Amino acid sequence: MMQLGFYFDQSRCTGCFTCCVACKDWHDISAGPIRWVRVDTIEEGKFPDPFVAHIFSPCYQCEDPSCLKACPADAIVKRKEDGIVTVNQEECLGEDSCGAPCKDACPYGSPQFGDEESPRMQKCDLCREQWQEGKKPICVEACPMRALDAGPLSELKKKYGELKEGTGFVYSSEIKPSIIFKPKKNNIGKP
Amino acid sequence: MAEKNREKEVIIPTMCASHCGGTCLLRVHVKDGVITRVETDDGEEPQLRACMRGRALRQRVYAPNRVLYPMKRKGERGEGKFERISWDEALDKVAAELKRVRENYGPKSILFLPMAGDLGSLHSIMTIDRLLSLAGGYTTWWGTTSFHGGVFASFLTYGTVFCSNTRNDLPNSRLIIMWGWNPAITQTGTNTAWFLARAKEGGTRIIAVDPCYGDTAAAFAEEWIPIKPGTDAAMAIAMAYVMIQENLHDQKFLDTYTVGFDKFREYVLGSEDGVAKTPTWAEAITGMPTATIERLARDYATTKPAALMSGIAPGRTTYGEQFHRATITLAAMTGNVGRSGGDAGARAWESILGGYPYKAMGLGAAIPFTFNPVEDLTKSDGVILGYTYPKIHYTRVADAILKGKAGGYPADYKMAFIVNCDYLNSLPNINKSVKALKELEFVVVEEQFMNTTARYADIILPTSTFVEREDIVFGVGMAYCGPQRKIIEPIVESKPHNDIAKALAVKMGIDNYDEETEEDRLKQLADMVDIPDYELFKEKGVHWIERSEPYVAFKQQIEDPKKHPFTTPSGKIEIYSQQIADINNPLIPPIPKYLEAWEGPNDPLAKKYPVQLITNHCKRRSNSQFDTFPWLRELVPQVISISVKDAEFRGIKDGDMVRVFNDRGETVLPARVTQRILPGVANLPEGAWYNPDEKGIDRAGSANILTRDEPSPAGSFPYNSVLVQIEKVEGVK
Repeated sequence: MMQLGFYFDQSRCTGCFTCCVACKDWHDISAGPIRWVRVDTIEEGKFPDPFVAHIFSPCYQCEDPSCLKACPADAIVKRKEDGIVTVNQEECLGEDSCGAPCKDACPYGSPQFGDEESPRMQKCDLCREQWQEGKKPICVEACPMRALDAGPLSELKKKYGELKEGTGFVYSSEIKPSIIFKPKKNNIGKP
Repeated sequence: MAEKNREKEVIIPTMCASHCGGTCLLRVHVKDGVITRVETDDGEEPQLRACMRGRALRQRVYAPNRVLYPMKRKGERGEGKFERISWDEALDKVAAELKRVRENYGPKSILFLPMAGDLGSLHSIMTIDRLLSLAGGYTTWWGTTSFHGGVFASFLTYGTVFCSNTRNDLPNSRLIIMWGWNPAITQTGTNTAWFLARAKEGGTRIIAVDPCYGDTAAAFAEEWIPIKPGTDAAMAIAMAYVMIQENLHDQKFLDTYTVGFDKFREYVLGSEDGVAKTPTWAEAITGMPTATIERLARDYATTKPAALMSGIAPGRTTYGEQFHRATITLAAMTGNVGRSGGDAGARAWESILGGYPYKAMGLGAAIPFTFNPVEDLTKSDGVILGYTYPKIHYTRVADAILKGKAGGYPADYKMAFIVNCDYLNSLPNINKSVKALKELEFVVVEEQFMNTTARYADIILPTSTFVEREDIVFGVGMAYCGPQRKIIEPIVESKPHNDIAKALAVKMGIDNYDEETEEDRLKQLADMVDIPDYELFKEKGVHWIERSEPYVAFKQQIEDPKKHPFTTPSGKIEIYSQQIADINNPLIPPIPKYLEAWEGPNDPLAKKYPVQLITNHCKRRSNSQFDTFPWLRELVPQVISISVKDAEFRGIKDGDMVRVFNDRGETVLPARVTQRILPGVANLPEGAWYNPDEKGIDRAGSANILTRDEPSPAGSFPYNSVLVQIEKVEGVK
């Protein structure tokens, strides 16, 4: 089965948030709690030796997604043709009905719920419609640092190696998020 | 949602150039005259990818606080109450007021206050500049707010402001010193951070000298040197001391290309004033250990080529011009001028003044230049500083309005014509500026948004954004230009700048404002910069003048100095400047010197206000632009960054509300407690829209409520020479 995924060069990310705004514009999402893509900042160390890294957090389109298993309505689907995990909003019961076990099950905070009444789950779908036009997700196109890429995971591995972890991101071998890293490591105090 | 019908969308390329430091390609999707979404450059590298601000285009164009109609003030000035009027009524009123003030008080009483918020060649502040000049003249301000220290230093030392290599030369450096330079935030040319990443990946060492561990330092620097604000020149001069003592400087370069190094050496070694500018001397001033200063000096002198990127923030201090003069001297001492992989050390933020020397460029390049008839060059003894009579330094405008002739200013000021300029948020000492604007007889503001300054207008003329008119803009940091396209009709009743000026000219009875069409004007400009096919240019979106080979400033002067002298009086790099010596002001010395700043750590005022405030640029704004867009606000909250040490001392925890104050004003906002700043320093990003409560305390975190309205002697703006106190606000979250 083909699996699409992301590559993230953490050593290049400056935390500029362009991916976040491009995503909201492209998918027409207002300011507010819905964030299909997040960039979180990790700060370690002490003055005058601080360490900073950023972590790109979309939905990682896990090979064995925990949100899918947790959904009581089978509203979450993993597509066979490309491994993208989608949610059928018509079938989603809504946070108020089921308590959003998908959200609790995902270790990466990908399922999103709005502040409207009984919100349905939504999340990053790797800009699935973009692939039909031979294009990549809008966040990849947007990144001013060219720190992002997306494609079949097997190809990404060939191109970028097989590292699955970066600062602030722990790979879950249970659910297998589809992402390859070039990590930025905290070397403070290390030779 | 993503699935919504997107058929019939048309994609039009245009350039976003919003005074942010970048000039980026947006491919704007439009359907039925409405912008639906935005893509960026997907062509050949180097692509000109837009940042978060460019991607928020729709929140800019369709912002609820756009000024949609000409407006007339109701109630008190500054109260923010307006009523809609017609263009006819608005322009009649402005024309009548211009006439009344000119006839009653003379043209010098008319203040023209423009700023570079919108970088069009046709639709810019130069439209009203021309109109007011044709109408008999006006008073405007002098000084370059962002980087006057750099302009002064490069003009006097190199004879030009065009001192920078293009950014694609950065990977050719073996060492890059980012001195007060944070291009991940301030761009300084689209792709600068990307070129830094590529430099680092190619083995270039990158060191940051900065009171803050900014996003660029955090991403790329192997070392952070957290220097005290306002002491940068001392550190640079002590580096020169180390190079001289250890004979690391390039004497042959200095002999061939510079004048006055011997005088500088006397000062550095102490034979001039009895004080040797040793690293120990600098340690006491800068707070940086002697060993660090020595190491940086040796690294810079022995790693070739090396680029000392002289950021403009250290220049925005008292005597900030000395910092830029000192870094230029270091660049010359190390032979890094005119060399690929080096840098002339002048000013690493070129904007419309400097960078690639286009055949025509800049604000208003498509508008015929008109001399302001009240300017008198014979009375302009300070012309070397950028001053001509009767201009007022930007920092002094409020003072000039309040005092007029009685305060020694050339006129009594009665009205202000403010264009593209959030004067209140962008200039120092907001409380004084507010008082001053209330004193005027008439204030007209030409603006896109109901911003702080527009609230103080009597008449607001609504102007359009860059997607609502045709124009041409130029790249910073790399050599290219691109079109700005009229993608949609002007929003409601807003008009592009040149249309406003033309309509106002008719009301003023001026018939020679412009007889040519806008298209002709833009085609002429396109011809001047050798764009072969204007229609194709508009279609493609970007015209590269030089894409692959880096442009290296002063290459000719270094390769063939006889044939290509520097454009200074001596034909050389003037480490000692006779032109400066002729001013005969000990606070503007002819060689670079460290002068102790007012509102620096040793000012007696520090007993009362012990924290050094710096006012950096904010990731989500471009000065005060973009402040209100929700997509950006939610990602970057307005906070004041303070060190853990300073926070603990004051019982402040991360997220606590704090009051920041000095004798000029007070603002209240959340604190961010961080390891990423030098203790004793706080960083309050400038540009948040001033929002006073009933007691006059600002609730927006607007930095210029605290800054001092006094220029440095050579004209630098001391936005980073500010002393404040910070206290926790009890019981407020």
